[in-house]
Amino acid sequence: MFEGGVYKFNELKELVEDLGGFIIQELVMQTDTILHMAFPVEDEREIREKVKELGGKLIDLPLAGTEIMIVTPSLGKHHAVNPLCDIGEYLRRKGAITNIMGLARGVGKRIAQITREEKRIMEECDAVIFVVGNFRECIEAKLNIFEVINVPYLIVGGPPKLECEHYVGGIGRRTDRMRRKEEFDKLEEMTTKLGEILDEKRKEVEEDPLAASPLFIKELIELVIPPIPGEELPIVIHIDGLRLNIEEQDEPRIRNIEVGKKKLGEICEITKSLYKGYLLKILPEAVTGSVFY
Amino acid sequence: MEVTVEVEGADEFATTSYAKICQDTFRDLGVRTSIDHTYLYINPQEHLFLISVKIGRVASPIKVRDVTQPEIDKLKITDEKYAPKLLAVLWDAYGERVQQVGRLEIGLKLTDKETEAVKELIVYDPREDLIARILDGIDRILPEGARVRYPIPSPERITIIASENPIGEEWKTRAADMLRSIETNV
Repeated sequence: MFEGGVYKFNELKELVEDLGGFIIQELVMQTDTILHMAFPVEDEREIREKVKELGGKLIDLPLAGTEIMIVTPSLGKHHAVNPLCDIGEYLRRKGAITNIMGLARGVGKRIAQITREEKRIMEECDAVIFVVGNFRECIEAKLNIFEVINVPYLIVGGPPKLECEHYVGGIGRRTDRMRRKEEFDKLEEMTTKLGEILDEKRKEVEEDPLAASPLFIKELIELVIPPIPGEELPIVIHIDGLRLNIEEQDEPRIRNIEVGKKKLGEICEITKSLYKGYLLKILPEAVTGSVFY
Repeated sequence: MEVTVEVEGADEFATTSYAKICQDTFRDLGVRTSIDHTYLYINPQEHLFLISVKIGRVASPIKVRDVTQPEIDKLKITDEKYAPKLLAVLWDAYGERVQQVGRLEIGLKLTDKETEAVKELIVYDPREDLIARILDGIDRILPEGARVRYPIPSPERITIIASENPIGEEWKTRAADMLRSIETNV
């Protein structure tokens, strides 16, 4: 991530594109600029030099290019604002796009449940974080309702240890902000664990490569539908697809975008998101065949 | 305020965190000084919770002179938090003779006698909504899933048992016993 001023900032963008990198996200707030970018590892020195020349900072983002859903049993005072927003903010600082979701009937021990629609909304994202409370018994009882989710997930709760693979303890229900060092360490531990499970998913995608990279498709879409200045997150990158905030009448145009020798509609499953915009799930190359022949 | 948290069948983490939640919640609602003792019983295995709050001294009412500074034909608001209540009280008492001239200024057209009397008007009495605030606090402390509630009446305390399951007679009598033992010990 580049953090700095707008001075000569286009030069950095051009350099990244010349080197074969991508701009994942761009945010210009008056004179402050935040740029999430992806570029080949061997060009890091060149980029660093450019950033130094512009007087900005270059920060490593382990979660860039992912969308994370943070799920809590409810949006009541018991769970929001703390620690829900602390978790969300920390993940955003690490490069993720975050959504917060409160379940309709997620509270309690025996009575907790996840509806089918909620499950489908969660599965639109790359990973899910469940924020739960302080009782070991309640969390253990809820483990089986979390199991149905088909995307990687992490459970964040109070008790320090729990017999569950995807669990980070020590956060739980709180009444104040997480601002002390040991609390930041906890958030860091959570991010590391989330990074690990996302890496597993990335590896799976690498083993069965996609027809085209989401970053590449993003650039092609932007050529057809240029982003409106000031619009927030028109395109969100997932590990194996994209989320597009487009109008309904633009959908056929998106389908007809040419990717190599194929149409975007042929290499992607395009569905309307239950939550926001359209979802593009890029099919593996093994299914579509190469886009270049 | 003294807080006792007793946990049956849960670990130490739940005990310490809930003691903190009790303290912080009551402090946020501004009722901490009015509570003498809080007892919290937690049984996550059977999903049963009991909270009992003993009400102590209540802060004295806030008068007009506590939140304003008198000037000639004017009152200057020193604590803006009470401004809406202050205006409502003054308008009730003197009607159109009271005007808000600026953000922190209230213009008065009163006789000398009334100007003295106005300082003693009560703006806000914490006694009014104390019970409502304590109940709000209890609602925030008890886990959200525990929606089945049963109050146990006693003269000095507010006691509520809560669970996600129907509360049986056995627990009601057990809770009453617990309440008696707290009352004798505290």
